[in-house]
Amino acid sequence: MNSHPETKPPKWANKLLHLFCTSDLIEEIEGDLHELFEERLKYRGEKTARFRYIIDVLSLIRPFAMKRRKLSYPKPTLFGQAMLKINLKIAFRNLWKHKAFSFINVMGLSVGMSACFLIAMYVHFELTYDAFHKKADRIYRLATDLKTPSETLNYSISSWAFAPNIKSEFAEVEAFTRLATRNYLVRKGDLKFKEEKTVFADSTFFKVFDFQLIKGDPQTALKDQMNVVFTEKTARKYFGNGDPIGQTVLLGEDGIAATVTGVMRDIPQNSQIKGDLFVSMSSYTQRFNKGVDQNWGDFGAVTYLLLKPGIDPQKLSAKFPTFLQNHAGKMMLEQQMQMSLIMEPLLDIYLDSPREAEESGSIENVNIFSIVALFILLIACINFVNLTTARSVERAREVGVRKAVGAPRSVLTRQFICESVLLCMIAFIIAVLLSALTIPFFNDLSGKIISTGILDSMPFVGGLFACAVLIGCIAGIYPAFVLSSFDPISVLKGRFSASAKGIFMRKGLVTAQFSISIALIIATIIVYSQLDFMRNRDLGFSKEQMLVISSQTRPERNTFQESLLGISGIKSTTASSRVPGSKSNQAYSEIENAKGNMQTGNLEVYSVDFDFIEQFGLKVVAGRTFSKNFGSDSSKALVINEAAARMLGFHSPQQALGKKYKQWGREGTIIGVVKDFHFKSLQESITPLTFRFLDWWNGNQLSVKISGGNLKNTLTSIENQWKLHNPDRPFTYFFMDEFFDRQYRSDERFERLFFYFSILAIFISSLGLLGLASYSTMQRTKEIGVRKVMGASTGSIVGLLSVDFLKLVVLAFIIASPLAWYAMNSWLKNFAYQTDIKWWVFAIAALLSCLVAFTTISFQSIKAALMNPVKSLKTE
Amino acid sequence: MKGTYLGEFEEIILLAVAILSGDAYGASVTNEIEQQMGRAVNLGAVHAALHRLEEKGFITSQMGGATNERGGRRKRIFSVTALGIRALETIRQLRNQMWDNIPKPAGV
Repeated sequence: MNSHPETKPPKWANKLLHLFCTSDLIEEIEGDLHELFEERLKYRGEKTARFRYIIDVLSLIRPFAMKRRKLSYPKPTLFGQAMLKINLKIAFRNLWKHKAFSFINVMGLSVGMSACFLIAMYVHFELTYDAFHKKADRIYRLATDLKTPSETLNYSISSWAFAPNIKSEFAEVEAFTRLATRNYLVRKGDLKFKEEKTVFADSTFFKVFDFQLIKGDPQTALKDQMNVVFTEKTARKYFGNGDPIGQTVLLGEDGIAATVTGVMRDIPQNSQIKGDLFVSMSSYTQRFNKGVDQNWGDFGAVTYLLLKPGIDPQKLSAKFPTFLQNHAGKMMLEQQMQMSLIMEPLLDIYLDSPREAEESGSIENVNIFSIVALFILLIACINFVNLTTARSVERAREVGVRKAVGAPRSVLTRQFICESVLLCMIAFIIAVLLSALTIPFFNDLSGKIISTGILDSMPFVGGLFACAVLIGCIAGIYPAFVLSSFDPISVLKGRFSASAKGIFMRKGLVTAQFSISIALIIATIIVYSQLDFMRNRDLGFSKEQMLVISSQTRPERNTFQESLLGISGIKSTTASSRVPGSKSNQAYSEIENAKGNMQTGNLEVYSVDFDFIEQFGLKVVAGRTFSKNFGSDSSKALVINEAAARMLGFHSPQQALGKKYKQWGREGTIIGVVKDFHFKSLQESITPLTFRFLDWWNGNQLSVKISGGNLKNTLTSIENQWKLHNPDRPFTYFFMDEFFDRQYRSDERFERLFFYFSILAIFISSLGLLGLASYSTMQRTKEIGVRKVMGASTGSIVGLLSVDFLKLVVLAFIIASPLAWYAMNSWLKNFAYQTDIKWWVFAIAALLSCLVAFTTISFQSIKAALMNPVKSLKTE
Repeated sequence: MKGTYLGEFEEIILLAVAILSGDAYGASVTNEIEQQMGRAVNLGAVHAALHRLEEKGFITSQMGGATNERGGRRKRIFSVTALGIRALETIRQLRNQMWDNIPKPAGV
């Protein structure tokens, strides 16, 4: 009945049908298709039949015919939803069953994680200084090295004339901006403040840097003379919520009117450039200090160059020596000095530049903290691995049963990894909460606003999450393999005893933990003793009971000074340009040296009055100090320190007396030498120093020595006198000892951070030890019972249980101390004056760690030793 | 009622199943519709509609005997349920009622 027996429907269409069509429909559908094909073949011809066949097959590609219908008869899957659900359920049950254990485990991990989290934020903050400028990679700071016969000075500043000339001579430079920070009095109506961060900036300031103007035009805001741009915060201080644009403020002592031309967003925390208000540079170079622009020898501004894209800074700086020779060659020859220009990439300045800066970080500290963070995390992970594997015995039977009913190893491995990831997730949630709570403390501790809250640090939270999953997997792998490797027959048959290898591994890990903790303890003690050493070292001058007022210069200062002498409680007063701990100030000087030549150099200068040396308790080792009895002292005399005498080649201070000098327009002789004293922080060695008598234009630091007793009353009397004499200026003062110790603030922060993190480390290690000890005592419950029955004392049992672990701590100490000694020795090299590393530091660390370990273990061991043997023998 | 709504194509299929009573399966329904309506119908569309109708409970099915044309494959024979009959009747009634309501032009 078939006229074309050989004609068959297209094969590929049939294959396609089999590919997608579900098996329980294929028979009827294929049947229908074939029947229709035969019929069409008969009445319509082959072509139509084939074509319709294909169309029909394609039209069958619909949901109802698809293979997904298989799902109604599912095969068991290896890692389907159901299995995951079971895994999670069992994991939760396990956690719940061993609450104390889980708590220790999760606590250790989450504390470690949040410590790591905070440190990561800190490190990121430090590493991204100034990175918010879009053109940061093209911005360079122009620094100067000054070489004189006496020394080489590494300035971060450069001369006023450099930048404008570089810009006009080198096409590679797109723009430059110079910044000079000064301390200015700013007045607006009744409001008056000393603005320590008044910055003169070139009009290109907003072109080079990405500081944002909220109001005003970035092109012109700092263009004309006496234009001022306020930061938001400063603007609020002076103008409240009003619009500051176009308003007038009075600048400086003389109250020169300046117009507010812009308000900028507050400068980000991680900006090296700080400032509260910015004044147009033209006000300085064309008004306050006219002509300074043409002065090649006047160093006073920090200069930033913006290079055009694609310029090689090396090639540009190679042209600088010739440039300097052309412009300043004559001056350099006259003053016997050699200048060289260095371009420092903006992004490297904060962490890497050794030059003086308002704020600088240390790549070393960043490294140290990164290492500490890793260590803490490592300790936490070790805890985790230890505690999990220690419990393997308990779960051995479970594994045995699972294997007996047919669980393959891969399923078990997955189950245990699943458990550890779950634990890490819980730890992650706690860690995030913990970090959110501790961010304010951490900001306080580090002295910076690292983060304004957890919500602002979401990328870090994401990172921590990834980290937690990773830790869960990595820390879970070892226990998972150990647990899943148990032989079901031996495990189910009888008691399973932990392998010697596993015990060795756990002990090794505990030793590693304690080594890290002990090293951190040693480091903390050494950091502390170095700081203690610096705080208590005899600086060679007296800083106690000394008040320093920022005053005016003569003659206002003199009348105020006289008025103070009437107040009881004030011993003496003295005026000077600087006090110990102030910023460095150097003068080009020529002094006759031991060979009789005039040696040139830039020396530190203190301009002082008659009483300074006496009031600060400096010892005169040769000659005399400034005296009213010698009329020429105020214009001809110079006092130097021992370091300066040594630099000039004199073997004894006496030899320096009567030698000639030239400095800042004065000529005369050296009249005295004072004993070296620490006028800078103890991180630096004592450098040559000269004292000259006050000029009429300087000496605005008024130091007041007060006798003990009623400080508050004395202060009030001083303030009253101040208001009487200077009604339009704020009364600002500081205490000498606090001011000097301020230099150690960053070291103190370092100390505190170290302190807290080593406490954390030892805490986490102890948690691990506690878990391990409790586990091993549990294992030996029966043994302890037998021993007690046989007459062992409580003490001997406690000793028995503790000695194993104490051995590990001792081993850890032996490993940690040489490493810690080496690391701290190199840290101490940063300080010019350093304390010795004493043997008792190690003794304390050893004692402390043994004590902590012993206390931790004894929680468990004493409990076990006191247990009634009847009870303990009944177990199992 | 969403579940029992009959689409136009579904209605036609349901009618065809009723016409072919006892011998309604994919190919025969396709042929019937092609002949009655004079237009080509895809087997896929027919099967999908049959499937939907069965889900809605208007038709039932059972595997029937095999024939040679089908290469020995069995057919699924569909038959209209009481619910299906009632649905067809409701539709017809509804249509009639609407036809009756069309106003007759004057003079007819």
